[in-house]
Amino acid sequence: MVSFALQDSSAGLTMPPRMSAPIIETTNLTKRYGRQNALDNVTLSVFPGAIGLLGPNGAGKSTFMKCLLQLQPITSGSARLLGREVGHEGREIRKRVGYTPEQDCHIPGMVGCEYVTYCAQLCGLPFQTARQRAHEMLDFVGMGQERYRKIDTYSTGMKQRLKLAQAIVHDPEIVFLDEPTNGLDPKGQTQILELVQSLWRQHGISVILSSHLLHDVDRICEQIIIIARGRVLVHDSLKNLKARRRGAAEIVVASRQGELIEACRRNTWPCELLPNGRVRVEHRSDNLNPVLQLMQGIKLAPLEVIPSPNALEEMFVQALATSDQA
Amino acid sequence: MDAMRENVFRKSSLAIRWGEAQKGEDRMKHDTSYQHWEGAHLGIWRRRAVIAANGLRSCLQVKWMRYLITLCWAGCLVQVTLLFCLGQLLIADSVVVQWLGNLNPQLQAIARALVGWLEQHPEISVRTTYNLLFYFFSANLLTFTLIAIALAMPHLITRDLSSNAIIVYSSKAIGRFDYLLGKVMTLYGLMTLTWLGPVCVAWFLGNLLSTNWHFFWHSRVALGHALVYALCSMTILSVLALGISAISVRAKATVSIWIAFWVLGNALVPIGLHTKPWLKFFSFSFDLEQISLAIFRLKNDFDLATTNIPFFGDMLRGLRRQANSVLQTPEPGAAIWGLAVMLALAALIVWRKVKPE
Repeated sequence: MVSFALQDSSAGLTMPPRMSAPIIETTNLTKRYGRQNALDNVTLSVFPGAIGLLGPNGAGKSTFMKCLLQLQPITSGSARLLGREVGHEGREIRKRVGYTPEQDCHIPGMVGCEYVTYCAQLCGLPFQTARQRAHEMLDFVGMGQERYRKIDTYSTGMKQRLKLAQAIVHDPEIVFLDEPTNGLDPKGQTQILELVQSLWRQHGISVILSSHLLHDVDRICEQIIIIARGRVLVHDSLKNLKARRRGAAEIVVASRQGELIEACRRNTWPCELLPNGRVRVEHRSDNLNPVLQLMQGIKLAPLEVIPSPNALEEMFVQALATSDQA
Repeated sequence: MDAMRENVFRKSSLAIRWGEAQKGEDRMKHDTSYQHWEGAHLGIWRRRAVIAANGLRSCLQVKWMRYLITLCWAGCLVQVTLLFCLGQLLIADSVVVQWLGNLNPQLQAIARALVGWLEQHPEISVRTTYNLLFYFFSANLLTFTLIAIALAMPHLITRDLSSNAIIVYSSKAIGRFDYLLGKVMTLYGLMTLTWLGPVCVAWFLGNLLSTNWHFFWHSRVALGHALVYALCSMTILSVLALGISAISVRAKATVSIWIAFWVLGNALVPIGLHTKPWLKFFSFSFDLEQISLAIFRLKNDFDLATTNIPFFGDMLRGLRRQANSVLQTPEPGAAIWGLAVMLALAALIVWRKVKPE
């Protein structure tokens, strides 16, 4: 059993959190499909924020979300979502929760705004309010006149936006996003991630983002949960995780990269010139002072210093390796 | 001049459309903020009704469904006409009696026999005649309803399973039971349009156009029989239809299964009569017919008419000698068992198949 508890998760907020109690609490949560354990004694206590759920394909991320939403029955253990017992108060829980599944899930023949209105009505909003909010949410996700077209004719990007709109139309307190950037081009990915980021940072809606794309999670999440083989390997804030991986930096300089590399090698720091022109240095220190002193010594001004680059990726790979060894 | 006016109109409509598009773009640019909502949520029955209304709306988008419903209401008008003619028999020199006399003197004799009976025992005669008419009317509407269900089959559960919309339903503030209840309500709505509505309207208009207000009172039993039969059948057919709709994710497959279930079931009836009698109870339409015979109690009405109506009674006696299925003794117990087995299977299929994954 792996158990983690995060106490300080409000860092980086621009508005106060809507809740201070844990939004998700699980105790020995287990889900089995036949003889295979999809979730194995997961014990967690998650506080409000933007939470990234990382793991390779088949790790149990989606199952974890589905168990919390009661889309899958729990085999053993218990879970509480927004302070309510999962399995007993499903309707009340889902009234306060939004969900965007990984796959397409629209109703054929419906037009976009009609679909979002219908979803709002299913959550208990009166028709007039539902219709108004549907248009507001479609505006929010950046859908224009295409909202009046049948969903069957939508591109992947439009469908992802529509899924997000239907998930937040009833103003949930948490929104579960399962691979929301799948099938999107880089521009679409950026737009969706910005929207998702704004949900927590500007509007106080907690976000649980499940993805196998580390970049997405690194960009918008403050808390990270790494799951593999149904077990929680890591649960901590991104800040703490990056702090654990200190000792490396990427330095951007306008010129004289060769001189910088030579100076680093004199200090016995492994370094290399990256294809993007940056110099990667493993300085093995808790802070960047030795690097800055070295650069001062050779009278070279950095344009940018990126501490702990790829920390999340390294942590992820290390966690998976540890899990494989175990 | 006309061409010029048309040109001006086209230009103005284009301007309006362009203006709307501009407004849309402006809204996109400026009105993109997220607003919290703090209103009161509607109750669970309203949410179930939303599912039902949406299902009914999608069923009514099918062109053939609209034609079929029109046909049912045309049948309702025929029934109203028959009831109107029945009421007219009470008036000795009514248009109907005279028209029948002109058409055929024998028909006029039948009409006079009916008139005598109606005048002598209005409480029995109206009840019996209405009962017969509503029995045949219900039997015809059942056929139309079964066709309507075949057309509606993809819009029930099949489409939600194939498009994964079931996941969206499951993630909203409704449970599986609520979803299914919504779908049952969809079918109830549809069958109200094809069956229950025409029955009620035919009864009301038929009595409204009758010559005596007492027709409302005397025909209450016939209406009661028709309503009980319609509501029982609607409940049974709803569960059966949901079960078949959940069998496959392909619309054509579920429609075919429903038709096969209906047609093959009917084929089992003659086979059962000659081989194993219990086979015939695997036809849901046969079972429903048995229940309708038990509810309407047609045999009693025929006996009553045979003994009480002069001339008309002789004709009915001749009819009884023939092996008419209408006059057979119903077997509602066995029919209920047959339907119970089918309902249990349908419920099992629905329970196993209607899941988010």
